[in-house]
Amino acid sequence: MTKILKFIKPYRIAAYIALILMLIELSVELLQPLLIGKIIDEGILNNDMSVVLYWGGMMLVLSLIAFFSGITNSYYAAYVGQNLGFSIRKKLMKKVQSFSFTNFNTFPHASLITRMTNDVTQVQNIVFMGLRIMLRAPLLIIGSLILAVLVNWQLALIFLITIPIVVVFLVVVMTKGGKMFRSVQQKLDTVNNVMQESLIGLRLIKAYNRRTHEVKKFTNVSNNLREQTASALRLMEAAMPALLFIMNVCIIFILWIGREQLQATNIEVGEVVSIINYATRMTTAFSMFSFIIMAFSRARASSERIVEVLEAKIDLEDEEDGKSLEQLKGAVTFEHVSFRYPGMSSYVLKDISFHVRPGETVAILGSTGAGKSSILQLIPRLYDPTEGAVYVDGMNLKDIKMDDLRKRIGFTPQESILFSGTVEENLAWGKSDASLSEMKAAAKDAQIHETITDLKDGYETKLGQKGINLSGGQKQRLSVARALIRKPNILILDDSTSALDLQTESKVLDAIDEYKCTLFIVTQKLSTAKRADKIMLIDDGKIIEEGTHDQLMNTSALYREIAYSQSEQGAMDRVY
Amino acid sequence: MFTKIMAPFKQPKLHSQINDRRKKQRKPNDFGAVIKRIWSYLAIYRIRLLLLFFMIVISSAMSLLGPFLVGITIDTFLEENEAIVFAWLLLGLLVTYIVQSLSLWLQNYWMIGVSQDTVFNMRADLFRQIHRLPVAFFDKRQLGELMSRITNDIENVSATLNSSIIQIISSVFTLIGTIAVMLWLSPLLTILTLLIIPMMFYGMKWITKRTSVLFKEQQKNLGEMNGYIEESISGQKLIKMFSQEEKVMDDFLHKAENLRISGFWAQTFSGFIPKLMHLLNNFSFAVIAAIGGILALNGAVSIGTIVVFTEYSRQFTRPLNDLANQFNTLLSAIAGAERVFELIDEKDELASEKDKQKLEDINGEVIFNHVSFTYGEDKEILSDICLEARPGDTVALVGPTGAGKTTIIQLISRFYEVSSGRILLDNRDISTIHKESLRSHMGFVLQDSFLFQGTVKDNIRYSHLEATDEDVIQAAIKANAHSFIMKLPQQYDTNLSFNGSGISQGQKQLISIARAFLAQPKILILDEATSNIDTVTEVKIQQALQKLMVNRTCFVIAHRLNTIQNADKIYVLKGGKIIEEGTHHSLMKEKGFYQQLQNSKERSV
Repeated sequence: MTKILKFIKPYRIAAYIALILMLIELSVELLQPLLIGKIIDEGILNNDMSVVLYWGGMMLVLSLIAFFSGITNSYYAAYVGQNLGFSIRKKLMKKVQSFSFTNFNTFPHASLITRMTNDVTQVQNIVFMGLRIMLRAPLLIIGSLILAVLVNWQLALIFLITIPIVVVFLVVVMTKGGKMFRSVQQKLDTVNNVMQESLIGLRLIKAYNRRTHEVKKFTNVSNNLREQTASALRLMEAAMPALLFIMNVCIIFILWIGREQLQATNIEVGEVVSIINYATRMTTAFSMFSFIIMAFSRARASSERIVEVLEAKIDLEDEEDGKSLEQLKGAVTFEHVSFRYPGMSSYVLKDISFHVRPGETVAILGSTGAGKSSILQLIPRLYDPTEGAVYVDGMNLKDIKMDDLRKRIGFTPQESILFSGTVEENLAWGKSDASLSEMKAAAKDAQIHETITDLKDGYETKLGQKGINLSGGQKQRLSVARALIRKPNILILDDSTSALDLQTESKVLDAIDEYKCTLFIVTQKLSTAKRADKIMLIDDGKIIEEGTHDQLMNTSALYREIAYSQSEQGAMDRVY
Repeated sequence: MFTKIMAPFKQPKLHSQINDRRKKQRKPNDFGAVIKRIWSYLAIYRIRLLLLFFMIVISSAMSLLGPFLVGITIDTFLEENEAIVFAWLLLGLLVTYIVQSLSLWLQNYWMIGVSQDTVFNMRADLFRQIHRLPVAFFDKRQLGELMSRITNDIENVSATLNSSIIQIISSVFTLIGTIAVMLWLSPLLTILTLLIIPMMFYGMKWITKRTSVLFKEQQKNLGEMNGYIEESISGQKLIKMFSQEEKVMDDFLHKAENLRISGFWAQTFSGFIPKLMHLLNNFSFAVIAAIGGILALNGAVSIGTIVVFTEYSRQFTRPLNDLANQFNTLLSAIAGAERVFELIDEKDELASEKDKQKLEDINGEVIFNHVSFTYGEDKEILSDICLEARPGDTVALVGPTGAGKTTIIQLISRFYEVSSGRILLDNRDISTIHKESLRSHMGFVLQDSFLFQGTVKDNIRYSHLEATDEDVIQAAIKANAHSFIMKLPQQYDTNLSFNGSGISQGQKQLISIARAFLAQPKILILDEATSNIDTVTEVKIQQALQKLMVNRTCFVIAHRLNTIQNADKIYVLKGGKIIEEGTHHSLMKEKGFYQQLQNSKERSV
């Protein structure tokens, strides 16, 4: 929390102003019981009209002062809160942009998004509220206590006993309640999960007549939720009457002792009235406590999560003497590369070695989870290998400036991701200064030009959230075009032509041939693999077979089996 | 008041846009009917509610009596020798306070019970209804929208029942009671105190008029910025690959800046509301002190009365404020309840099934007799379909997307009902057979193999709940799923997360094939998956399916060549009509649409 509060520093003057204004407002409120005591004792009991009018008028003026400080306080508090949020977001985004993929893996995407959105908003709101109301409640209690002691310390003695008790009581109840509500949240998630499963798996449930089974499952979790919610709420709601009772008993004592003292005539009625007034104000302030404690503990959790991101160590950075890369021929060498994702115990790649000459095409085949994508991710240095090394043109990747390396590589990931924006903007990702003719050329090569020109606004058509949705195949082709536009020396297609029909796919691949780049292509289709200079069959993180199509047809039983299952002949044989 | 703490525990929504959309439809249409309906849920607990109501009356009365007694007590301070009266007053106060706290506690205790039970009942009704609704209902609706209706709307009702009812009733009582007692004590002071109501009204109106616009703007900017964050995180790989970090940063800062500005004004103005309340509180306090003082000097009121008034004026603005707040939440809860009831009132598919025939055993002969199907009013999806499957036959349905293949399958399992014509199972019209009995003879392997949260074992067992562990393993072995399951961390006891994420699409299919093996159905309905499944798993799936289809009547929406060639009969569909039928060889010889389709598949190596 303190680390986050450091972000306030540039706005500390505004924060101080807000605090001072809040204190002014608060003191007005604290003065009121005092003044009413004065009106009673010096005005009414002394039969002095001018005193009544003077203090009454004074109270009106003071309320106006309080109001204007309150309004100005709101302005400054909002200023601090919003600026704080802005700077935290900026810092977070900057940090996240410098993240390596290892860092990304330590934070699940959803959690990272929550941290950057909700958690920041949470902290921002708490600071805003803190400067306006939240500090008010505790300050009001402290202030009331002090003034009550000043008015009549014997009467105020009762507060010194009860208030610590009330505070401890509230803290205990809140901590317990907090735990219970977290468990309520979990139960609610379970209930919603069962609901969601029911909706998604609807056909299956109907098909197997599992209606009663599902209802039973649901009633069970729903009942858990009911019981947990009821007991959590009951605990919390019991706190309020208890608190009220303790404070009210205080009032009885004040009245009692007040009268005793009055008989001894060292006290005046107005003083008793003031102190009772302070007591009721404290009661109201206490009832805010639960809210404040909860909000505060949530903000603390949020700021911890934010700090975690800000303090994450970035493990993948340019070496200080990183070489810049003027040009790249496109030779790629893996030397005894083993790799496991950070934090995981098992290796996804085991002792991989191969060499690819500039301009060659390499097809990678293998089942899901065999390690195909992992091999490809090492080439643009999204990760560093755990053991061994990767070289391009004979240089270790670690010695090259990352930006320079990545600029020479075209990459289309397995899932084609487009950003909201126009087609043009999406293509410009590949090369920010690309001219329209360059874009068109790349789009033509990726067989997507015609689709684009058929769109309503051609290259200026908006895509994504607010725009149109492209089909899977169209997305894939657009993402290939985005990679081609930078005329890469190494091109990586991670199963990114899977949704294309064979004809289109082979046109795309023909066009890519013209780029004379080294091509890595992950595929499930042998017809595609056949074009390659080298086919690598990956299983369980190892290269199990390697060679051209013809070689593998001769030497590899597994390769033949795949070929067989994909051929018409294979299908025929199984029928008869 | 303490229910406010619930708020911080609620999971915030990521997609602010969804909330936006929902807010627009917040107004309930038929207020009275919905309230009546909610009452029908609450009426079960009417005795508890009556007691509760009684407690609210008591606690409201006590909260008035307390300050009043304090005022009287203070007046006795100035009179000598009233020790006994004084003692009685203190005792009275003690009793008042005890009764007040007790009645507060009891009313909350009971209300929580009633509201949680009610919400539980509503949830259960809703859930039961969901499983009675026909498939058609869900096809017409967006899953996300439905889900939000079920979760958010019910939560809304729950929160309102928990806190608002008590608050609203007690606010009304306190308000009326306070005004009555104040009028009785001093009409003049009362009128002065009441003056703050119009001031509060206009002040609030002035503020909310501005904040509603500002909040909308802030919400929009927040949505845009959050959307951008989501996008940039999920597209991180690309940002890195294309070295676009700076551009992303610039775009982001632009959006964050918009949010900063709109957020600043929205917060500033919304911050005025509590300040206004404070001002009015302070104001009325000052007025009561000053005017009360003058009146006291004239002997028109006692000091005790002034004390009572200062306390009352504080009790008086709070219910007013609460009422204003509660009214909005109440409205949105009623609108939420209305949407829940709408769903519960949808026509369910089982009501008309009660008297229908249940089948013990079937042969598995299926005949379509001039079947047509129209979806909605306008479009005929299937027209005049005649097809026949003898027991044990494999029937393949082939054709382009939208030809009506899936619809045929949906009609056999009575997910949808035919518009005209008849479907016969063992010469019985299936519309005369009880739906659940009909489906109990069918096994399904659908395109999207859905897995539930739970163990692998439980997921396979889903098709036959009484199956032993041994049965499950046998089914998995037949389905070629055993070997990959044994490689999972806890084998058959491995917990699958939501919709089986963590295992591949192909493996999910193997599990759903194992399910079908376990069900031992007479009729098998198979919608082959087209998604890219890796080659090795693909081989396993094909082998398992071959085994599964033996001795069963099979309807297959076929994409794989060998399934098609295995079929006893192939029906080629186009535009909702059967245009060709026969075996693979006879159809290839015909050189019609089927042959074209096969050639375009280009499956040669």
